[in-house]
Amino acid sequence: MDDLEKAILISFDEYGTIDPVLKSQAIEYCQRIKENPTITSICVERLFTSKLVQVQFWCLQCLHDAIRHRYSSMSPDEKQFIRKSVFAMACYEGIDDKNVTVRVLDSPAFVKNKLAQVLVALIYFEYPLIWSSVFVDFLSHLSKGAGVIDMFSRVLNALDDELISLDYPRNAEELAVAARIKDAMRQQCVPQIVRAWYDIISVYKSSDSELCASVLDAMRRYISWIDISLIANDVFVPLFFELIMVEGLPEQLRCAAASCVLAVVLKRMDPHAKLSLLQSLQINRVFGLIDEDPDSELVTSIVTLLTGYAAEVLECAKRLTSEDGKRVSTELLEEVLPSVFYVMRNCEVDATFSVVQFLSGYVSMMKNLSRLTEKQLLHVGQILEVIRAQICYDPLCRDRLDVMDRIGREEEERMLEYRKDLFVLLRSVGRVAPDVTQIFIRNSLASAASSSSESNVEEVEAALSLLYALGESLSDEAMRTGNRLLGELIPMLLSTKFPCHSSRLVALTYLETITRYVKYVQENTQYIPIALAAFLDERGIHHPNINVSRRASYLFMRVVKLLKSKLVPFIETILQSLQDVVARFTSMSFPAKEMTGSEDGSHIFEAIGILIGMEDVPVEKQTDYLSSLLTPLCQQVESLLVNAKMQNPEESSANIMIIQQVIMAINALSKGFSERLATASRPAIGLMFKQINLRCKVSLLHGQPPKTCLFNFPGEESTPIIDPAANSPNLKLQFPNLTAQSLSTLDVLLQILVVFPKVESLRSKVTSFIHRMVETLGVSVFPYIPKALEQLLAEIEPKEMVGVLVLLNQLICKFNASVHDILEDVFPAIAGRVFSVLPRDAFPSGPGSNTEEIRELLELQRTLYTFLNVIATHDLSSVFLSPKSMVYLDPIMQLVLYSSCNHKDILVRKVCVMASLLLRFDWSGLLFPTRCTLVYNLTFYHPSTSQACVQIFIRLVKDWCTGPFEEEKVPGFRTFIIEVFATNCCLYSVLDKSFDFRDANSNALFGEIITAQKVMYEKFGDNFLTQFVSKGFLAAHCSQDVAEQYRRKLQGFVLCKYLCGFSLLEHEEKEPEKPNIKPWSWNFMFFMGYGTS
Amino acid sequence: MKALPNQQTVDYPSFKLVLVGDGGTGKTTFVKRHLSGEFEKKYEPTIGVEVHPLDFFTNCGKIRFYCWDTAGQEKFGGLRDGYYIHGQCAIIMFDVTARLTYKNVPTWHRDLCRVCENIPIVLCGNKVDVKNRQVKAKQVTFHRKKNLQYYEISAKSNYNFEKPFLYLARKLAGDPNLHFVESPALRPPEVQIDLAEQQRHEAELAAAAAQPLPDDDDDTFE
Repeated sequence: MDDLEKAILISFDEYGTIDPVLKSQAIEYCQRIKENPTITSICVERLFTSKLVQVQFWCLQCLHDAIRHRYSSMSPDEKQFIRKSVFAMACYEGIDDKNVTVRVLDSPAFVKNKLAQVLVALIYFEYPLIWSSVFVDFLSHLSKGAGVIDMFSRVLNALDDELISLDYPRNAEELAVAARIKDAMRQQCVPQIVRAWYDIISVYKSSDSELCASVLDAMRRYISWIDISLIANDVFVPLFFELIMVEGLPEQLRCAAASCVLAVVLKRMDPHAKLSLLQSLQINRVFGLIDEDPDSELVTSIVTLLTGYAAEVLECAKRLTSEDGKRVSTELLEEVLPSVFYVMRNCEVDATFSVVQFLSGYVSMMKNLSRLTEKQLLHVGQILEVIRAQICYDPLCRDRLDVMDRIGREEEERMLEYRKDLFVLLRSVGRVAPDVTQIFIRNSLASAASSSSESNVEEVEAALSLLYALGESLSDEAMRTGNRLLGELIPMLLSTKFPCHSSRLVALTYLETITRYVKYVQENTQYIPIALAAFLDERGIHHPNINVSRRASYLFMRVVKLLKSKLVPFIETILQSLQDVVARFTSMSFPAKEMTGSEDGSHIFEAIGILIGMEDVPVEKQTDYLSSLLTPLCQQVESLLVNAKMQNPEESSANIMIIQQVIMAINALSKGFSERLATASRPAIGLMFKQINLRCKVSLLHGQPPKTCLFNFPGEESTPIIDPAANSPNLKLQFPNLTAQSLSTLDVLLQILVVFPKVESLRSKVTSFIHRMVETLGVSVFPYIPKALEQLLAEIEPKEMVGVLVLLNQLICKFNASVHDILEDVFPAIAGRVFSVLPRDAFPSGPGSNTEEIRELLELQRTLYTFLNVIATHDLSSVFLSPKSMVYLDPIMQLVLYSSCNHKDILVRKVCVMASLLLRFDWSGLLFPTRCTLVYNLTFYHPSTSQACVQIFIRLVKDWCTGPFEEEKVPGFRTFIIEVFATNCCLYSVLDKSFDFRDANSNALFGEIITAQKVMYEKFGDNFLTQFVSKGFLAAHCSQDVAEQYRRKLQGFVLCKYLCGFSLLEHEEKEPEKPNIKPWSWNFMFFMGYGTS
Repeated sequence: MKALPNQQTVDYPSFKLVLVGDGGTGKTTFVKRHLSGEFEKKYEPTIGVEVHPLDFFTNCGKIRFYCWDTAGQEKFGGLRDGYYIHGQCAIIMFDVTARLTYKNVPTWHRDLCRVCENIPIVLCGNKVDVKNRQVKAKQVTFHRKKNLQYYEISAKSNYNFEKPFLYLARKLAGDPNLHFVESPALRPPEVQIDLAEQQRHEAELAAAAAQPLPDDDDDTFE
C-alpha cells in the first residue's frame, strides 16, 4: 500500500479508530494529489491495481471531477486516455500491456455506479460527435457475460438519472445535451439496444433475475422516448406478461416487468393509436393477481399498472369522438372498473391514492353527459359505497379517538388528510348524480340511526361526515329551500339522538353538520327549538367531553350570528341554560391545561353578546343582562389584582390564566354591541363597559379585600350605572380620592400590566381588548389611549411591538388625522425601540438564517412598513417632523429606501416605495439632494419599484420646476434631472437588456418613462432636448438622423404615436460599445414606437 | 460497526444513517434534539461531518443509529458522496418554507442511491411550525414515485421526531410491528405547534390591520 492509498483509507475511515490530526493530514494529502496535473493517470493506474474499494471510489470521484470541471482544458491525449481506460474498465478489459491485476467490475455496486457516472460524464461531452461508437462498442462486449451486461444497464440507468430524466431540475444546457444524445441514439443504436435487451432477458430470465430486473428498469426508463413499436409488439408484450404471470419467478423481476407494461401504457400517443395499443395488451390477464397478499410488492405494482391503465383508457374516452372509439374505450373501462373498486376496498392507503384520482376523473367525465346509463349509475353507487367504506375509522381506535391521546390524535389527523380527496370525489358524484347521492346518504343515516346499541360509532360518524361533506358543494338556494331530499334529511338530522352521542367524533360531526345546514332552519323557523336543543343539551354545550362542549360553544356562536333576530323570543331560555357554563368559564378552580387552543370557550360570551346586544332587545332588559354578566367578571379581576402581591408564583400563574379568561370573556361579550348602539342610541350601555373597569380600579386604590365572585343572572341585584365623565357626586361621596379623569375605561386592564409585567399572554389580551373597545366605543376611547400605549410600550419585545403597531394602524385607519397628537407622542418611543432591534440594512441570508428570531424581526419590519405607509396615506407624516421624531427621520428614510430596492418580497418593496413616495411630498425640501440620488438608484431595480420612483420624479419635476427660465426652488435639481435622471433612467435603462417588454411591470414602467419625458420637455424645454437628444442619443450610438426625428416628434407632443424607421436603426447599430446595452436596437424600436401597438 | 473514538462500543444493533439535504434545512438541529446523542457526538471539524449516536429503545431491545450529519458538504471538496458508503438507511431533509430545498430532493435521492442501493429512506419536510409554508403537504409527491416514507416534522418543537427513526428501525429489523417502548430524552420544544391558535392569531391581525395597501396584483411574484 502506498502513501496515497493509505491516505485515502484514513480519510474514508468510518470506524473512528484514527487520530483526528492524522485524519486531517490524510485529507490534505489527498487534496494535494488531486491538484496534481497528472491526476487522471494516477487514478487510472490505481483503478487497475488497487483492490481497496475506498481507493477505487476516490479515484473515480477524481476522474468525475476532472471531466466535469476541466474537460475543455484537457489535451486530446488526456481525453483519449480517460476514454480508453474507463471504457476498458466498464468492459472488463485490461489496458494495453499495463500491469492489470484488478477489475472494477468485480467491486461492489457503489463503485460500479460511480464508474457509470464517470462514463456518463464523458458521454455528456463526447457523444455523438467525438465518441460516436460508445454504445455500439459496448454492445459488442455484452457477450462476455453478466458482469458487462450489468455494467451496461448501470450506464443506461445513470444516463437517464444524470441527464435525461425530467425528475431532476435541469438547466437549459443540460436539456439541450439530453436532446442531442437522445436524437443520436434513436438514429444510431436504439434498435440494437432493444434487441440486446430481448436477448439478455431470454437468456437470463430464469438464472439471473437481478440482472434482468436491472435491464427491465433501463427499458422502463427509455420507453417514454424511443419508438414504441420496438416494444409494443408481438415479441416484448408476451415476454412482459410471461414474466409477470409466472408464479415461480422472483417478485422483483415480476414487478419490473409490470413497470415496463405501465411505461408502455403511459407512453404519450395519439388517442386512436393509444386505444388500439391498450386494447391489444389484454390487461385482464393480470386481474387475478390483485387477489394475492395485499401487502406484497407485486400487488402494489399491479395496482399501479391497473390504475394507470384505467386512467389512460379514460383519457382516450374523453378525447375520442368517433362512435367506435367511444364504444371501445367504454368497454375497456367497464372491464377494468371492477378491479379498481376491488383495489379500493382491499388495498392500503398508498395504492388507493391514485385510484381516487382516477375515479375523480371518471366522474368528471360524466359531467358532460346529458344522462347517465344504467351501468354508470351502478358505478356511481359503487363509488359511494367505496367512499363510505374508506372514510370509516378503525373501531380499534375508538377509545383513543375519544380521549385524544397521541395515537388518537394521529389517527384523526391521518383520516382528515385521507378524507380530503375522497370528499372531493363525493361532491363530484353529488353533482353528476344528486338524487342517487342524497338517497344514499339518507339511507346511510337511517340505517346508522336504527341501531339501538352504541356499537356502530364509526358507521354513524361516517354517515354524518358524508352529509357534512356534501353540504360544502350545495348552493345557498338549495340549503334554504331544502330541495330534493334535503327537506327530509335536515329535520331528520335535527331530531335524531344517536345512542353513541357520547363519542367525541360523533358529537362533533353532528354539530358541524347542523351548523352547515342551519340556513334551512333560518327559512323554516319551526325547527329553531330543536336546533337550539341540539346545541344546548348534552349533545352540545353540555356534552361531558370538554372538547365537544367548547366546539359547540363556537358553533353555537356562528348559529346565533346567522339566526340573530329570529332568536329574540328564545333569549331568556338560552341564558337560563347557559348559566352554569358561563359561571364555570372564569371559576377559580378551572384547570389551566384546558384553556389552550382556539376553542377556549369564550365564544359562549360572544354568542350571548350577539343575542343581548341586538337593538331588538328592550333597553332595560339589555342593561340587566349586561350588568349581570359584567359585574361578576369585574369583581373577579378586582380581587385577583389585589391579592397579586401576596401570591407565590404558582398561584399567580393560575391567576394570570383567570384574568386572561375574564378579559377574553368581556372582549367576546362586547363584540355583540355595535358602536352605534354603545355610543349613539344607547350610550348607557357603552358606559357599562367603562364602568367595569372603574369598579376594579376603585377597589384597587382602596385595597379592598377580594369579594367572592358570584354570578348573578337577571332579576337579581343589578349594579347602578355610574358615569365617570359626569363626575357624579354620588361617586365622589363613595370614593373621595377619585377624580373623574382617573376613572378611565382601560385603567384597570392596564393596571394588570403593572401588576403582572412582562406576561406576554396578558399583554396580547389587553391589546386585543383595546382593539375591541376602539370598535365598540369609538372616539370616546381616545382619552385612554396614551396611557395604554405607554404601558404597552414599556419593556416591549419585538414580537409584541408588532401588536402595538397593528393597534396604531387600526387607530389611524379608523380615526384618521385625529390621532395626530397621540401618534406624535408615542412615535419617538416606537421608532427608538424599533431601530434598536432592526438591522439597518440586510438581514443575514443563506443557510441557518431562517431562525425564529429573524422571522420575528422580519415580521416587525413588514408591519413597520405598513405602519409608515398608513401614516403617509392618512396625511400624518408631519409626525415625523416633530422635534423629538426628527432624529429618526434619517434612519427611517434609509431603511425604507434600502428595502425599496433590496427587500426579498416584492410586495414589501412596493409598500416601501409607496411610503417613500408619499413621504417625499411632505418633506420635499428636506430631502434633496442626497435623497434624490437614493431614489434615483432605486429606479434601476425591479421594474415595479422603478415605476413608483419615476412617478416620484415626475411629481418632483412638476412641483419644483415651474418653468424653464424661472428660478429654481431646489438648487441643483434641474441639472440633476436633465443630466442624470433623463439620460440614465429614461434612456439607458430602457435600452438595457434586462428591460423586457414582455413583462407587464416593465411595460408599465415604460409608460411612466414616456410621461416623464413629456413632463421634462414641458418644464425644461430645449435645455432638456439638447441634453437628452443631442448628447444622450448620440452617446448611445444613435444616428443623428433618428435623434433629429425624435426631437421633432417630442416637440410636436406626438411621442406616443411616433414610429420611426427602425429597420434603418437596426442596420446602423450593429456593434454597440457599451456591453450592457447589447440588444438595444430591439428595445429602442419599442422605445420609439411606444403606443403604436 | 464499531463506535467512534471516545464512544463506547455498543453490544446492541447499530446502523449507519446518512442524513442529507440542502444546507439550512435543519439537519443539525434535528439530530441535536436527541440529548444523549448530542452528548456523545463526535465532531470532526476538518471534514465537516458530525456523527451522532442516537439510541432508541424498542420492544426488541435497544438499537443505535449513527447519524452522519454531512453539514457543509454541499460545496465542492470534502468526501461528498464518499460519506454515504456503507450507509444502511437515510433521511433526506427539506425545508417546507423554502421551495428550492424540495426541488433538490430528487438530486439528493439520486446521489444517495448511487452509493447506497436499496436502503430504506425517509423524506422529511422540516419546519412545519413556521406559518408561511412554501411547500404544502399536498405538493409533496416525490416519495410516492420512489417509494419512500414521508413525514412532516418540526425539529424545533420535536413534532414527529421519532417517526423517521421508527420507520427505519422497522424496515431494518424487517418487523412492521416493532415499536419504541420509551421516548428518548429530547430537548424541550422551543416552539409549540398550535395551528388553530396560529390561524386565530393571523385572523385577528388581518382584521385589525384591514387597511388598503397599494395594489397587490403582484401576488404571483417571488
